[in-house]
Amino acid sequence: MPEKKGTIVVVDDDVQLVESVTTLLESVGYEVFSAYRAEKGFDLAKEKQPDLILLDVMFAGPPGPDGFEISRRMNKDEVLKDTPVIMLSGVKKVLELGYDVTPDDDFMPVEAFIDKPVKPEKLLTTIDEVLEAQG
Amino acid sequence: MKLQTKFNLGIVVVFVVLAASIGALSIHYVNTNTIREAKDRVSIYTRAAWEIHDGKIAQIEAALEVLARTQTVKEALQPSGDGRELLQVREELERVRQEQEMDVLNLLAPDGTVLLRTRYPYATGDNLADDPIVQQVIAEQENSTGNIILSRDRLDVAGEGLMERVLAIGQVPQGMFAGAAVPVVQDGEMVGILQMGTLLNGAVEEVDRIRDAVFANETYNGKPVGTATIFMGDLRISTNVLDNQGRRAVGTRVSDEVAEQVLEDGEPWTGRAYVVDTWYLSQYDPIRDPNGDIIGMLYVGELEQRYLDLRRQAVVMFLSVVLGGMLVAFLTFYFLTRGVVRPIRKLSHATHLLSEGELAYRVDVERSDELGELASSFNKMAERLGEQRREIEQNQRRLKELNDELRTTNRNYMEMLGFVSHELKNPLSSAMMSLHTVKDGYLGEVTDAQEKSLDSVARSLDYFQEMIKNYLDLSRLEKGELEAHRQSVHLRSQVVEPVLEGLSKSLEERNMEVVDNLPDDLEVYADSDLLRVVYDNLLSNAIKYGDEGGIVELDGHLEDDRVTLSVYNEGQGIPPEQMPRLFKKFSRLDSPEHAKEKGTGLGLFICREIIEEHGGRIWADSEEGEWVRFSFTLPDQSRRSNNA
Repeated sequence: MPEKKGTIVVVDDDVQLVESVTTLLESVGYEVFSAYRAEKGFDLAKEKQPDLILLDVMFAGPPGPDGFEISRRMNKDEVLKDTPVIMLSGVKKVLELGYDVTPDDDFMPVEAFIDKPVKPEKLLTTIDEVLEAQG
Repeated sequence: MKLQTKFNLGIVVVFVVLAASIGALSIHYVNTNTIREAKDRVSIYTRAAWEIHDGKIAQIEAALEVLARTQTVKEALQPSGDGRELLQVREELERVRQEQEMDVLNLLAPDGTVLLRTRYPYATGDNLADDPIVQQVIAEQENSTGNIILSRDRLDVAGEGLMERVLAIGQVPQGMFAGAAVPVVQDGEMVGILQMGTLLNGAVEEVDRIRDAVFANETYNGKPVGTATIFMGDLRISTNVLDNQGRRAVGTRVSDEVAEQVLEDGEPWTGRAYVVDTWYLSQYDPIRDPNGDIIGMLYVGELEQRYLDLRRQAVVMFLSVVLGGMLVAFLTFYFLTRGVVRPIRKLSHATHLLSEGELAYRVDVERSDELGELASSFNKMAERLGEQRREIEQNQRRLKELNDELRTTNRNYMEMLGFVSHELKNPLSSAMMSLHTVKDGYLGEVTDAQEKSLDSVARSLDYFQEMIKNYLDLSRLEKGELEAHRQSVHLRSQVVEPVLEGLSKSLEERNMEVVDNLPDDLEVYADSDLLRVVYDNLLSNAIKYGDEGGIVELDGHLEDDRVTLSVYNEGQGIPPEQMPRLFKKFSRLDSPEHAKEKGTGLGLFICREIIEEHGGRIWADSEEGEWVRFSFTLPDQSRRSNNA
């Protein structure tokens, strides 16, 4: 088991993806907590106060807030406002968001945006960069 | 030109030609005839005038013959007789002269010596044997008649007043007499000669008689229809031609032309003559004395105007008949042709309507001839066309319905394809994540055999990913959602670099190098999102099909309003025969080299759709076995400044 690098909360409705990401992140030394619904993710993050949050955009199942809404809620939260968020998305095209959407404090207060599917190397590099930027 | 107009024009031309010919012929005929008739008539009039003149002289002769047989005259010629008998007979003869309205009546001795005159101052004793009439009586002892000229000295003794009458006309001191002389015979022996005559100079009775007898003293438009004149030489001495003041035009002379022909050559002259102030159809005959010498002329003329008017009337009547006939013929023809032209016009109108698509129109021509057949055929044809059109329209409707159905089906299919593709992304994402986590050794050492197997899975998943990406793009295209939101884009940083970043792993695996020749400051006016799709496809192809270890070159330049961009790679290239279907949907290259690389056959089709949405064009150049270059243009670059 490698040395502990930090805590990450993964919020995604895709159980398989959560599992594979968890496996990867744990394999490189992160402690991972996961949730499958957006509200649950918010609560989990408040509880665990991780170093970083990986957040999906769209959630299947019963109606509820999406990734953007949660990220905005986190940004306003006393406890979570400084916690970096990396947005994971497979729905960019469907939403017509455009490639050039860059993290924006008001609309999308996240540190990075990763298009699914993503390969391990890319994911890890992005996480490293975000954490490094946080100091 | 309309058919009716053509017919009308044709018949008018025919009629005009006919009318002109007939008119010319008739005018010529009338002219020749009237002129010939006029000449004939003038000739007849002249003969009648001669009859009257000669009749007058014959009358004188007859009166003298009666006198010559009277006892009184014979006794007066007795050689034994004294002056008393002569005086008695003078009174008797003077009475006769006045009854006969003669100017002279003389009794001569057989040798021509004047025994007595019946006109004051009753001169006697001179000899008249050289008088042409008297001369003949002396020579032949028979009656003699004719016209003679009396010279001045003769006139002086002939009697009081004669010289004055002569001189009153043209100041010519000689007179022209018409008269006769007869012998007085006693016991078979000529004992004397009786001579009587009338002075023609200034006389009106004879010419007026000619006029009245021949022309009935008619006038035409205020002018006498006919006139007669007696000339002494070329001088008018007795005439009923009136001058401008309405006086008899005595004392004037005839034209040189007439004088020459009649007086010198002794030929009658016939023709138009301008008399005083108007034209006459005239004849001039020479008047000869008993010796045959020409001493004057007899003229008869008929007013030409009457002939001209008659001729004009004849021509007018003739032409009226001709034109009237033609009008009737023309009207008949007009209505006949109209009967033909009207149905033709109806047919023409109907054909016009038909050509404009009015198939319901029918021609209303009820005839039993060829035109009727034509009309009925036309109606049948229109009927058939109408049926065919209804059929076609029905088919078109059915096609449209089918088409709409197909489109809906396609749209549903595309929507489902999009949905499924999207749904596939999630399991794919986790599968790739897990696979690469293992393959990249995060979960422990991987053996070569394991890695080989994992690579195979990874390639399948890559293809799977590409397929999903393309199907999502295709779904958007087919749903018509593709719309270029153009803005100013820095080509390298906003398009090429993000794409290359995603492809860096593949490039590395294929050991290929990208040579970026793009100008540093190249900005294009385009939808960056879509442009990335294009570059992603072209570069993926270049990596996939290019030579391992080869280079990929990016070029671009702006020229005028258009930017041309290209992606080049070394490799097998594309055979010419496969070029045409390169950009078609679901087209894949058939070549053994490419067999292991699977493609969806959608990438270039999507590229083409995107470029065409931008108003540009995409094409490929290749040298088989050497290289291939995909190029595309983006026009309207100047709008960038206005819309940026």
